[in-house]
Amino acid sequence: MSYRLLTIRALRDRLARHPAGRVALSLLHVAVTAALPLLLLWLAGCSTEPAPRDTHSPVSDNGEISSFFYSLLLYLDAAILAIVVAVWAYALVKFKKQDGDDTLPEQSHGNMKLEVIWTAIPTLIVVAITVPMLVGVFKMSKRHDPNQPVVEVDVTGKQWWWEFDYKNGVGAGLHTANELHLPADTAITLHMTSADVIHAWWVPRLGGKRDANPGRTYPMSFTPKVPGIYDGQCAELCGSSHALMGTKLIVHPIAAEIEVEYKGQKVKIESYDSWVKAQQQPAKAPVAELEKGLKLFKERTCPSCHLINGLEGTDVAARSASSGPNLTHVGSRMGIAANTLVNNPENIAKWISKPSAVKPGAKMPDGLVTPEDAKTIAAFLSSLK
Amino acid sequence: MASVADFAQAQAPVYHQERPAKSGLVDWLTTVDHKKIGILYGTAGVFWLLIGGLEALLFRLQLAKPDQDLFIGTQYNGLVTMHATTMVFLAVMPMIAGFSNYFVPLMIGARDVAFPRLNAFSWYTFLFGSLVINASIVFAHFPAGGWTGYAPLSTRAYGNDGMDFWWAGLVLLAISSMVAGVNFVVTILNMRAPGMTLMRVPVLAWMMLVIQFLLAFSFPPIAVGLIFLAFDRTFGAVFYETAMGGDPHLWQHLFWLFGHPEVYVLILPSMGIVSEVLPVFARRPLFGQHAVIFSGVFIGFVGFGVWGHHMFTAGMGPIADAVFAATTAVIAIPTGVKIFNWLGTLWGGKLTFPVAMLFAISFIPMFTIGGLSGVMHANAPLDLQQHDSYFVVAHFHYVLVGGALQGLFSGIYFYFPKITGKMLSEALGKAHFWLFLIGMNMTFWPMHDLGNRGMPRRIYTYPADAGWNFDNLLATAGVFFMAAGTLIMVYNMLNSLKNGKEAGRDPWDANTLEWMTTSPPPAHNFDFTPVVFSERPLFDHKHTEDLAIPVPSEAEQIHMPSPSWKPLVVATGALLIIVGLLLFNVAPLLWLVSVAGALTVVVGIYQWVSEPV
Amino acid sequence: MSAELATAPGHDAGHDDHGHVSAENNFLGLPNIKLAMWAFLGSECMFFGSLIGTYFFYHGKSLGGPLPTQVFSLTITSISTFLLLMSSMTMALAVDATRLRKLSQARAYILATAVLGATFVGFQIYEFSQFVSEGLKLQTSLFGSTFFVMTGFHGAHVTVGVIWLTMLSMLISNGKLNKDKASVTVEVAGLYWHFVDIVWIVIFTFVYLLEFIK
Ligand code: HEA
Ligand code: HEA
Ligand code: HEC
Ligand code: CUA
Ligand SMILES: [Cu+2]
Repeated sequence: MSYRLLTIRALRDRLARHPAGRVALSLLHVAVTAALPLLLLWLAGCSTEPAPRDTHSPVSDNGEISSFFYSLLLYLDAAILAIVVAVWAYALVKFKKQDGDDTLPEQSHGNMKLEVIWTAIPTLIVVAITVPMLVGVFKMSKRHDPNQPVVEVDVTGKQWWWEFDYKNGVGAGLHTANELHLPADTAITLHMTSADVIHAWWVPRLGGKRDANPGRTYPMSFTPKVPGIYDGQCAELCGSSHALMGTKLIVHPIAAEIEVEYKGQKVKIESYDSWVKAQQQPAKAPVAELEKGLKLFKERTCPSCHLINGLEGTDVAARSASSGPNLTHVGSRMGIAANTLVNNPENIAKWISKPSAVKPGAKMPDGLVTPEDAKTIAAFLSSLK
Repeated sequence: MASVADFAQAQAPVYHQERPAKSGLVDWLTTVDHKKIGILYGTAGVFWLLIGGLEALLFRLQLAKPDQDLFIGTQYNGLVTMHATTMVFLAVMPMIAGFSNYFVPLMIGARDVAFPRLNAFSWYTFLFGSLVINASIVFAHFPAGGWTGYAPLSTRAYGNDGMDFWWAGLVLLAISSMVAGVNFVVTILNMRAPGMTLMRVPVLAWMMLVIQFLLAFSFPPIAVGLIFLAFDRTFGAVFYETAMGGDPHLWQHLFWLFGHPEVYVLILPSMGIVSEVLPVFARRPLFGQHAVIFSGVFIGFVGFGVWGHHMFTAGMGPIADAVFAATTAVIAIPTGVKIFNWLGTLWGGKLTFPVAMLFAISFIPMFTIGGLSGVMHANAPLDLQQHDSYFVVAHFHYVLVGGALQGLFSGIYFYFPKITGKMLSEALGKAHFWLFLIGMNMTFWPMHDLGNRGMPRRIYTYPADAGWNFDNLLATAGVFFMAAGTLIMVYNMLNSLKNGKEAGRDPWDANTLEWMTTSPPPAHNFDFTPVVFSERPLFDHKHTEDLAIPVPSEAEQIHMPSPSWKPLVVATGALLIIVGLLLFNVAPLLWLVSVAGALTVVVGIYQWVSEPV
Repeated sequence: MSAELATAPGHDAGHDDHGHVSAENNFLGLPNIKLAMWAFLGSECMFFGSLIGTYFFYHGKSLGGPLPTQVFSLTITSISTFLLLMSSMTMALAVDATRLRKLSQARAYILATAVLGATFVGFQIYEFSQFVSEGLKLQTSLFGSTFFVMTGFHGAHVTVGVIWLTMLSMLISNGKLNKDKASVTVEVAGLYWHFVDIVWIVIFTFVYLLEFIK
């Protein structure tokens, strides 16, 4: 069964097929006419803009659970609201005081039977939604059996980018940034932590978020099911560039390469194994015209924060809380500066000549390079596929 | 049948003050009259509502379109933080305090609150707190840690200097609220008119009683959390220092142990107002008054056991998640009881629709929408998606704006005549109502959709290709409707003060004691001590043949508390203590200002207790 | 109806700020000031509950020493605890004396209580300086922060109590607190004092003693 969110229209069509549904619909109509402005805005809210980060088009088991509860509660809430608004609207129209009628209506103080009914029914509803919810809580917090093939990644939030350390399974030992690559249909456990303040790693299509707490580690286990490229970003206020702490999740097919759609374009995704192999390669020494870039990179103290595996003089940076993203394969990423800019040489040059102009408060210093040098370095960095 | 005008015949008794009130500014500075303090609170609340709304308007402009740079980074975060802090602590809470000050004593037939000077002290600490928080923009920057001020983002290492003003101001507000809580608990429990048993206390006063308990018991945890923050930031303590083993969950628990009861502090008074307004304009008693009261009490109790629902993504572990999710869902039940009883009140009534009633009836569906999305959040697996997304922003604005604020608006239109003796314009009021209702839905409804589309909250910019453009534009447009409505309300109030129709004692043909006395009421509230036989004392007087109007006995010499400077002096001392701590960051020796403050407090209190009242 | 009137509880039409209290005039039959003190103490329970709760939340999580067992001196703290307990006794005697309308006697007991309280605070200051010299400061560790802030706020409460009691004795001396008012006023101060004392018992038992039992 698919847990996809039903649109309002689809819901209406479905309802109209059953007699009881038609009764419900006419009730809804009464309700909605009474709240006409609301209706207009409701429809407006359901505009047809595509939603690349739809929270209810899940691509993992966890996302499906969340979405299931969304659908359940959406229909339940719509029904409750419809009843409340229908009674309300009916009462407002029916019991309007007539002109010239100055008598008092019946002075009723209440009705015990009704009180019991409208306490009991919501109680039953609450029990009915709470029981499956509890099941869901424990299902989502289950851990994968470490004896099975599991890919485990340490996810560290840093102001304002993401660091990924592959700890277990295929790809163990990889150390990348901002783009998380995972195999489809494989048990995954991410261990969330942070180097400074609280962040939260959230890719809406994948499913729920988890906070990355400094001084604490918390696991999040799931199985991604649909290969593709999914956008996400930090969801916990973490300072000036919280809005620009993007991330991407790339779910690779296990076997062969496939083609997916991403923002209206066809993109090829290689198999997870071949991605891992490529990432495990050290950086290639730059060709002649790019050598100047490497030289400047070393001169301008970039290696004190950035690691490039395999190039002499750049693989020395001690990893510390203040260090920046690993740049060994920076050219292969789709975006830079935590997906704030599209990855191309111009944008890299723009970024490294003045990071704070791209991201307020960026932790990479301004003024390390002149605009000319930036271009040279950018050309070199772009080649690091 | 008696009419309310008959009360005018009862001869006005003399009342006596140790030191009679001066006039003008001195009177307002030294007043201990609960009605004047209520007016001060209310005016401050409306003022800060405009400021908080202005802040919202500004950051909504930034969000109107993708990739804008009107307010970026900490500027934006500062606006959001101040918007929320202002709205919650400086607009809605003082408006509530305004109503509770002005009307609780009137409703229960008392001459003042239990401790009038303490009441003035609460007002001044509130005032100073509000000024300290906002002084951040003058001396430093707006605090930018969100209204939740999560550590370690709020610590010295990551938070800006505005956070110092934030904790300092909030500590003062916490003192103000705890003191007021104690004061009103005593007032409502102990100062009721003869015959006013607890079950005859008007629902609004009841809800005020519940929230005073909430204030007294929920502010200490956040005060402790703020003290830790202050010690970290000022003296280098390590409560939130994760490198020293500190745990970021500590602050969250302390904050939400306060924060959740706080949201019921914000909503229960509005529910009380709705429970007063509906019966008057439906011309029948509140349906199931006892059920409405008990559900309010129940909400207050359970409200202390659900705070963890703000932390489902924080990693508390499945057991804690499950417990908090289950307790949270339970709150839907008593809240539903209230909703259904209001519907029961409308059903079979004879409804008229002045503006006060319009806001009260629109409260019902608007709050229900917000409550139902709250029930979605209570579902922990679902909340992992919704937490910190715009879906939450939609939830809490429906309950806060559609609920709390609309309820207070209803209260303003309902009670303004009592407070000022002048009617508000119904035509302007209707314009306010429709503009606000439309604007509110236009702004906050699309936020559900934004949340579903994965838009996180507290982001100052967003990419054009995320599918969030239309909803955001709509949301920003809606603010202008709300702003127009609110400004019309303010104009309406100012205009009515001068040109309003005379209200008389009982313009709405209402049921409770406050409508028995003149508008505005005299300093001593009632010319005679009212005696109460049901939950609708004034209704009884108007509709019972043989209910004699009590006449003040000769012996009844009313003693009213005298005006006093001491509350202002002691509050100033408290302010100095806090300011000294802030100045400590500038130059350590300036902590002597705190010492001066402490001395002021001690001397002030000594004079306070020895002055005749 | 007149029967109902007659049974309707009495009503204090006025106010009663500090001092103006009479037990008969209130709906619950409890003077306002006393009710207020109970409500306030409820609030204080949450306050100290949060402080003590934090101490336990962080117990054993400090990354470095000194550890509680290394700095605590049971002898000294036992003495100061004993003094505080004694002060509760003198406080109780003071309340009794005001009830019997023996104001000068009450004043003596009040002053004795204040002196005992002040001595307790003195011990605490000594203890704090001792800890600091042994390397435990506010900034040292989670233990340092939680311990100093928790016990410091308790000490501040004792100090407030001492000032309060001193004021009371001054008010009695200059006749501002007459025999009618004194009973409730002193009783309320007593409530506060006993509460602060009980909080200390809790801290002493769970923070100090438990440390040595394990
Ligand atoms: C006035 C303020 C107010 C009120 C009244 C409420 C009421 C409720 N709130 Fe809300 N809430 C906030 C203000 C408020 N909230 C704020 C400010 C935040 C965000 C803070 C921040 O992060 O900045 C928040 C966040 C928040 C969260 C955390 C979301 C997140 O960040 O992930 C949750 C989770 O459970 C929640 C739940 C609820 C519930 C279950 C109720 C219930 O009380 C609602 C009950 C009402 C109804 C259910 C409707 C009427 C009932 C019926 C018609 C009966 C039938 C119904 C059923 C059987 C379901 N709220
Ligand atoms: C009672 C509380 C309350 C109230 C009434 C409001 C009212 C409004 N809120 Fe607020 N809001 C919060 C409490 C409240 N909010 C909280 C707690 C947060 C969370 C903050 C955080 O994340 O930390 C929040 C966050 C929040 C956000 C999310 C920001 C983000 O996450 O990035 C948004 C976005 O649109 C928003 C919008 C609005 C709007 C448009 C209104 C409107 O209703 C305002 C209507 C306007 C007015 C009432 C006044 C208009 C008048 C003028 C503009 C004229 C001014 C003129 C003079 C001064 C002379 N609010
Ligand atoms: C003080 C540490 C520091 C120094 C020195 C430094 N950087 Fe950075 N760099 C960072 C940090 C931190 C980030 C991540 C910033 C963000 O995204 O918010 C970063 C990000 C980057 C990125 C984007 C990486 C990605 O995957 O998004 C590039 C490219 C980069 N730096 C290049 C350079 C170059 C070239 C230099 C030298 C001229 C340099 N850096 C010097 C800290 C540093
Ligand atoms: Cu990281 Cu927000
Ligand atoms: Cu809550």
